[in-house]
Amino acid sequence: MAARLEVQGLSKRFPGVIALEDVSISVERGEIRALLGENGAGKSTLGKIVAGIHAPSSGTVLIDGEEVRLQDERAAGALGIGIVHQEGSLVPQLSVAENIFAGRQPVGRFGQVLVDQMRAEAARLIGQLGVAIDPARRVAELSAAQAQIVEIAKALSHDLKLLILDEPTAALTLNETDRLFDVVRKLAQSGVSIIYVSHRLAEIFALCDRVSVLKDGRLAGTRDVAATSTDELIRLMVGRDVHLHRQADGRVPGRVVLEARQVAAGVMVRDASVTVRAGEIVCIAGLIGSGRSEFCETIFGARKRSGGTIAIDGNAYRPGGTWDAKAAGVGMVPEDRKTSGLFLGMDIVNNIAATVLDKVSDGAKFSQAKAEALAQNFVVEMRISTPSVRQVVGNLSGGNQQKVLLAKWLAMEPKLLIVDEPTRGVDVGARAEIYRLLRALAAKGVALLVVSSDLPEVLALADRIIVMAEGRTVGTLNGGEATEESVLRLATKFTASVAASRATVGADA
Amino acid sequence: MTDTTAATQRDALLLRVVRKLANSRELTLFILVLVLAGVMAAVYPNNFPTASNMRAVLLNLAPVGILVCGMMLLMIAGTFDLSCGSTLALAGVWAGVVASPNWLGYGPYAGMLAGLVVGGIAGLINGLIVTRIGINALIATLGTLTIFRGLTYVTAGTGVTPISDEFAAFGRVADPLLRIQSLFWVMLVIALGGGWLIARTRFFRQYYFIGGNPRAAQLSGIRVDRLILIGFVIMGVLAGLSGALYAARLNSAVVNAGVGIELKVITATVLGGASLKGGEGTIFGGIMGVLFIALVENAMIINSVGVFWQGIVVGLVLLFAVSLDRFKTPGRG
Repeated sequence: MAARLEVQGLSKRFPGVIALEDVSISVERGEIRALLGENGAGKSTLGKIVAGIHAPSSGTVLIDGEEVRLQDERAAGALGIGIVHQEGSLVPQLSVAENIFAGRQPVGRFGQVLVDQMRAEAARLIGQLGVAIDPARRVAELSAAQAQIVEIAKALSHDLKLLILDEPTAALTLNETDRLFDVVRKLAQSGVSIIYVSHRLAEIFALCDRVSVLKDGRLAGTRDVAATSTDELIRLMVGRDVHLHRQADGRVPGRVVLEARQVAAGVMVRDASVTVRAGEIVCIAGLIGSGRSEFCETIFGARKRSGGTIAIDGNAYRPGGTWDAKAAGVGMVPEDRKTSGLFLGMDIVNNIAATVLDKVSDGAKFSQAKAEALAQNFVVEMRISTPSVRQVVGNLSGGNQQKVLLAKWLAMEPKLLIVDEPTRGVDVGARAEIYRLLRALAAKGVALLVVSSDLPEVLALADRIIVMAEGRTVGTLNGGEATEESVLRLATKFTASVAASRATVGADA
Repeated sequence: MTDTTAATQRDALLLRVVRKLANSRELTLFILVLVLAGVMAAVYPNNFPTASNMRAVLLNLAPVGILVCGMMLLMIAGTFDLSCGSTLALAGVWAGVVASPNWLGYGPYAGMLAGLVVGGIAGLINGLIVTRIGINALIATLGTLTIFRGLTYVTAGTGVTPISDEFAAFGRVADPLLRIQSLFWVMLVIALGGGWLIARTRFFRQYYFIGGNPRAAQLSGIRVDRLILIGFVIMGVLAGLSGALYAARLNSAVVNAGVGIELKVITATVLGGASLKGGEGTIFGGIMGVLFIALVENAMIINSVGVFWQGIVVGLVLLFAVSLDRFKTPGRG
């Protein structure tokens, strides 16, 4: 029997870029195949070609042994190929059913949408995935995981053969990810082949049968997941050895820089305390919605505090806004670099200057020369790869954007730097560099408070781990001794029932 | 073979020229203004390039030019003020009411000050609605557009005419050499001073960050709300200044002064390189936009094409200029 999907000698050139070069893979019925690679390695492009969104420059795509030429996404859908996009394609204001049937709603004689039939059909599709979501609800009311399930339901067709999932877990918590995996496994068991695009190694080991690694648009190799290792996959992706592991570098924490006691802010932060010393990296772990980011925003003055005390270097600290935090030597690298961190339309110089306008000015006059010199220093020091400091930040890769974001805050020489999700959407090579930078910063005596959803990251970086649940700090672990299990146990123990109900996909409120 | 190469080279050159123009709206406009003025001077040597016509053009564009400086600042920050025409009228009327001996009679200086203060208060109200209550600038200033106009009617019914000769002197004083009245010179000073401030100073640079990404600006320690509030106050004060001087020049504060001027101001600002998304634009560009619109209108009048065509031509030029953005070098702001 022919393979479900056979890709032969596929190449794709965009103006000035070779996105894919002579890639051949074949995927069996019911197989879950991971496509792994750094940002820009071509994994999304490959997915998009198979889904009919891009036309290949050369090479062929065979479905069940027959060559297909896909005009567009709709043609691919008719052949039983579905794709769930990285960016998401749902309209939050519309109902679940309307989203699933966007543009192909069942209509009656007068062209009116048959709402009942559409909802019933939507409920059936969602039911196929083994979950229940009310099709009449608006997507805006759903959790990130439920929304992702709706995306998958949208890609389902009567005769689904192949489903492409492009980084589906980017916005999901661990529990939600598990739920999503159940759905994906169920689909695979019913004979659907899955292409799972990701750069999260842990997910690939948890979910996939085989993994194809792309590097610079070429196939670097295909392995059975059972017979490979993290190190081997990273070597294939990056082309060299990368160390993400914990490093004992003998830092000795100094004076207490941040002392936050029983901080409360709104409903998200109820009773959170943390102490960070100079030269120490403290990580806050916890599920999404545990109030980690909100706690950090409160320390940074971006969120109003309703209770508790905070001291910086022993001095009482009550920021009226982020500018006061800055004046006190506190910086924060926000979670989402695109929406809240960077000025994507501006160049590197201006992005870095944004936090230190006083430093790059002569009196009241802004100095382009000073700003440029400062940016130049950071580009060299942080190994930001860019043609020039005048490059618009929106054109840089995710890893380089993240470095610019860090540089923006390093420029103000903070005493305390809060980093929310230091490596989200960043590839392995850049990740290792960011770890190196954070460690170097701590070694220079900066107090670091890091929030991360990525447990291996927490374990690799933290001197101490503070676990949060339901707006409260519920425990402290020593970085050297903690394990993923011990962190998770703390994160879920405190209000296990609440956490469980929150994470239950499809549990309608 | 060589033919096609030559053609390709010619195409490449054309593309480069288009790119260059697309990347600098100021340059595009500057060239357009020169070309238009040149053509007009060649075709109508007796009507266009005369001292009196130039004086009229420059004087007529002055109120719009003053408003454009404020509007450009707001649009750089990603917001705008539709109520500036009403503010202009309200401030003019209050300047008249305070100055005119038939009304309150506090004299010309008090009248001038009243115009600025009323404009500033109007701007403050707009700014507070937008930043404190959080109403979108379009809706907020659409509301105050009618409220301020209504207040103008309530204050002075049909207007304040005449105000007083001393007050009128503010608007009628002219330089001895070119004999252009104060309104133009005030605009020139504001445009040059404002242009320098916005382009060069650390304080005004913050507005570009706000327009570029308000959330990121907030999280970079920039006082977004306060700066937007200040921007609206500056806009209000400029509208007040413009309204008071306009009233002085006519020696009459008319209640329907500046009706519809806000759209002209926004047209000039966008034409001059501002984006509704914020983060870009220069005062020089905005003033070029004003100058261009003024020249087109003047050309229409001299051509006796009729006022009805003015709007059509200005609209077409606006759409043309903005569509040039498609040729911008990829990735440039």
